[in-house]
Amino acid sequence: MTDKPRLTALRLHKALHPIWKNDPGWKGRFTTVNNNDIGTMFILGATGMFLAGGILAMLIRAQLASPRSVFMGPEVYNQIFTMHGTIMMFLFAIPFFEALTVFLLPGMLGTRDLAFPRLSSYGFWCYMIGATIMILALVAGVAPDGGWFMYPPLSSSAFSPGINTDIWLLGISFIEISAIGAAVEVVVTVLRYRAVGMTLDRLPIFAWYMLVVAVMILTAFPPMILGSLILELERAFDMPFFQAEHGGDSLLWQHLFWLFGHPEVYIIFLPAAGVISMILPVMARTTLLGYGWVVAAAISLAVLSFGLWVHHMFTTGIPHMGLAFFSAVSTLVAVPTGVQIFAWIGTLWKGRPELHLPMLWILGFFVTFVMGGLTGVMVAMVPFDWQAHDTYFVVAHLHYVLIGGYVFPMIAAVYYWLPVLTGRKRFFRMGEVAFWLVMAGFHGTFLLLHWAGLLGMRRRIDSIEAGSGWEGINLLASISGFVLAIGFALVILDVAVNAFVAVRGRRNPWNAGTLEWATPIPGPAYNVASIPVVASRYPLHDNPGLPVQIARGEGFLGNPVRNRRETLAVSVARAEPEFIAVFPQNSIIPFAMAVVTSVMFMAPVWKWYGLMLASALGVTALAMCWAWQGGSRRDEGLLDAGRGVSLPPHTEVPCPPGWWGSLFLLLADGVLFGSLLFGYAFLWTVAPNWPPPAILEPGGLGPVLAAGGVVLACAGIRLADRAIRKAGVPWIRLGASLAGLAALGAAAWTVFGGTTHDAHAYDATLWVIAGYVVFHAGVAGLMVLFLMARIRAGYVSARRFGDARVVRLWIDYAALTAILGLGAAWLPGWLA
Amino acid sequence: MVIGGTTPLMLAGCEDRLSALHPAGPAAALIATLWWVMLAGAAAILVLVLVLLALAFRRGGGPSAGDSRGEAVWIKGLGLGFTMTVLAALTAWGLWIGERLLPRPGPGVVAVEAQGRQWAWRFTYPDAPGRVTEGALHIPAGRPVDVRITSADVIHSFWVPRLAGKLDAIPGHVNVLRIQAWAPGEYAGLGAEFNGPGYRRHHFTVVAHDAAAWDAFLAGETP
Amino acid sequence: MSDILRLSLPLTVWIAAFSAVYGLEGVVCSDRWTGAGLTLGQGRAALVAAGALAIALQLALLAGLRLPRFASALPWVQRTAAILAGVALVATVWSLVPVVATSLCL
Repeated sequence: MTDKPRLTALRLHKALHPIWKNDPGWKGRFTTVNNNDIGTMFILGATGMFLAGGILAMLIRAQLASPRSVFMGPEVYNQIFTMHGTIMMFLFAIPFFEALTVFLLPGMLGTRDLAFPRLSSYGFWCYMIGATIMILALVAGVAPDGGWFMYPPLSSSAFSPGINTDIWLLGISFIEISAIGAAVEVVVTVLRYRAVGMTLDRLPIFAWYMLVVAVMILTAFPPMILGSLILELERAFDMPFFQAEHGGDSLLWQHLFWLFGHPEVYIIFLPAAGVISMILPVMARTTLLGYGWVVAAAISLAVLSFGLWVHHMFTTGIPHMGLAFFSAVSTLVAVPTGVQIFAWIGTLWKGRPELHLPMLWILGFFVTFVMGGLTGVMVAMVPFDWQAHDTYFVVAHLHYVLIGGYVFPMIAAVYYWLPVLTGRKRFFRMGEVAFWLVMAGFHGTFLLLHWAGLLGMRRRIDSIEAGSGWEGINLLASISGFVLAIGFALVILDVAVNAFVAVRGRRNPWNAGTLEWATPIPGPAYNVASIPVVASRYPLHDNPGLPVQIARGEGFLGNPVRNRRETLAVSVARAEPEFIAVFPQNSIIPFAMAVVTSVMFMAPVWKWYGLMLASALGVTALAMCWAWQGGSRRDEGLLDAGRGVSLPPHTEVPCPPGWWGSLFLLLADGVLFGSLLFGYAFLWTVAPNWPPPAILEPGGLGPVLAAGGVVLACAGIRLADRAIRKAGVPWIRLGASLAGLAALGAAAWTVFGGTTHDAHAYDATLWVIAGYVVFHAGVAGLMVLFLMARIRAGYVSARRFGDARVVRLWIDYAALTAILGLGAAWLPGWLA
Repeated sequence: MVIGGTTPLMLAGCEDRLSALHPAGPAAALIATLWWVMLAGAAAILVLVLVLLALAFRRGGGPSAGDSRGEAVWIKGLGLGFTMTVLAALTAWGLWIGERLLPRPGPGVVAVEAQGRQWAWRFTYPDAPGRVTEGALHIPAGRPVDVRITSADVIHSFWVPRLAGKLDAIPGHVNVLRIQAWAPGEYAGLGAEFNGPGYRRHHFTVVAHDAAAWDAFLAGETP
Repeated sequence: MSDILRLSLPLTVWIAAFSAVYGLEGVVCSDRWTGAGLTLGQGRAALVAAGALAIALQLALLAGLRLPRFASALPWVQRTAAILAGVALVATVWSLVPVVATSLCL
């Protein structure tokens, strides 16, 4: 292979293109697993949702323009504002930055795709199908109508008997799959799939931000997924988690929701901050001031944001000391925000800022976001929040933060990366007009609404009343709102026109230093023809010839002799080459699995539980096909990775990408489990009507089964792992592990026998804990069976034992959560 | 422009019955003071940031100092020092005000009960057993009143903007809010947590009586 | 991966301690506390003790991360981890001031 003549850039492209290209025609849209394609479709989908949410905003402003302009009754209006919030938060804000990340991250890191390309595809399709379902529900008039945070008991079946709430709970949970999937991918990609030499302190700052955001998604979404699950269980099976008369507490929902909801705000802001940290230094022809401080600020912001969820609950009657903790953290979180703001201004001072269009939007960000941040500090003051809470002051504040702190930077990002996205440079100059329309419209709409809130205008009222003192403010807000809408429409139009009509641009028009500008534009499917070696944060500034060297295959893996999709995995901190990751081919499985998953999630809306179970089986089968596709039936040994380095393929390393993916998926799963235990403890201490009338008797059988099961399952897989590595026969050991998992499931099953699911919140919680244990024992059991089949089919050898490691991780997790969960379930009985 | 011009006039026209900034009792007054101080401080900080931002563009591109000096000024000085000083002071003040608004036991405190439901408020009076009023809460003026807030169905929130902040009515819980009116009169109250289609009309009134009228109310002599 | 741990550990300990103290405050102010025959004074003492423990933990982490045994090979990670350990210490003190500064269960 090395004796071949050196490839030219064009010949290398001709060699790589057939390996990475899509299936032809329309089919290719559904089978593609390429980050560029999925990123593009994702961006278009999220933009569509922004338009949908924007139309709803216009309906709201039309309704509130004057006391006489009422054209919707409260039943319709409540759906409109609920869906406006839901769409903007779940279907636009999060998906849009995920889309941008899917598109840009591999290029920035100098790698060929995200870590799990099929997961990108699956996540995207889950999002697209789920979003379509939500929009259809709105059109059909059965959209959720309880406000985007869905407080029970208003959202319980007694007060919301229709399917509206079920559609929200199940639809949003379904859509969250895409967020969790993207987060797992981003974490593993940033940690393992980078250019060689891109040590932690040389990561493009956006990658740092996205690493932080992805971990936040993994730890913030699970509480809400749990909340949605148990609220749906209450609605469907009368398990009284939130019914005070049966030991439930509606405050539990608020805790779970805001445990998600506040980090969510920073999950939305941090990608925008990452974008600014990338663009602003380029616009100022300099480098970011205080890179390490900014990384520290992002990490601090992320963790602090998990300590302020109760500031959404200042009026719920929690004792003042409890509120004071959260008030203190709510002000503290402004410190890392301030550090970032001043680092950016310092960067501008350090350089020579130029007023290109992206910079204009960033200036719009500064003005608007600083104002939103300041009002945020105001509502962090407990007494002031007692007045401002649930008024238009908060509505105005959150729009300043979200539009100013997120939408403006995202527009800057679109204009900045337009050459990468479309391969064209901006030609038409509508963008400046649109910018000023948006600025005038935005502040006209929202600035005085703060004031209206302090004058007593509650959020979510379906019309304003004459003589209230805020008619003038609302008329101004409505007129400005339409100016704002026209401005945003112009932005979208401008980008669209420029994407299709403008002239071809040259590579790296901004003279930026990061690797996403090293590829030809628009980027090829494989992103980089070879994996570069970098020596600083701004490799293109060190070495302007780097793009040509990459294209000529002078980096790693620049000689695609093995005729498959390969990229390089590096060590976490020092980015030294570790192994060659082999990517999957185009596949219809992710799309098919998204369709079947959507049936699984939506069938319970109509109580079609048979269909739900059938589609769950379908998802399981498809997941097994998915997992089966990877791997190899022969030992390959060390392979040539270029530049004189030989590396093993990912099938022959102890911790393959699947292990890393599992690790972070289990992090999210663990947070969900922790939230469940938190809910149990919360109900026990705070909820009315406790202790429950009857407490579960642990008995002898359950604990014995659990203890034996844990030992057998964990020991069995370890011994099997050892046998595999010695080329031995692991059947009996795997069988023992399987039996252990069955015993764990049976132990949990005894809980169902000792309690009645709808008797008391205590019983209901125990059912969920036991169900969690049974589910995970079942998943781990299926994985053992899958591993057995893989061994039989020859996918496992003394060198290829990664599959066994993945299974071991899941078994250990199932065992650990079983001990904790069942222990917590039995504890009151033991103490009594 | 016309609208922009008339808005301040309408504000000056003072439709203030729901205004948190026209306090009629000590709690609302303290919070209003907090607001005006925060508004002034926020405006000053905003101006500071915008001036710094503008100066970044107007400087005649001199050679920039090294990163370590920039970090000392921008990040350690402004980012950490400035923000932490301001925020520590504000947080402490906010907590101090919060402490003063709590329903501490004391002489002369009157207890009343408010129960929210879709879409009405029902008030009862431990000092006048059996007395029930719908839609109007009667209190004595000039005396601290503890409102024990409960819910009969979903979550509501009890809010009399001119007297105090709001507090939620949560099924299964009793929350106590301290209110006080300086002078006799009627004060508009609102249900301030979204609670379904009738939310907009979820109103009530607080009627503050002078001492004689309050005694008469308790004795059942007035409706 | 250990570098990632170095960067994230102090703040993770902060959020755990913060949640634990908030949970303890919930327990102290619940009926269960007085039901178990404990007084609010004891509750305050428990909260102050928990807060002091959290601060001690942060100080230990701050010192521990400087030890050669736990130091990172990358100087940048070492410096950023030190900043973040400082942040976590400040956050612990800042967020737990209420245990000595505010009324307990009002």
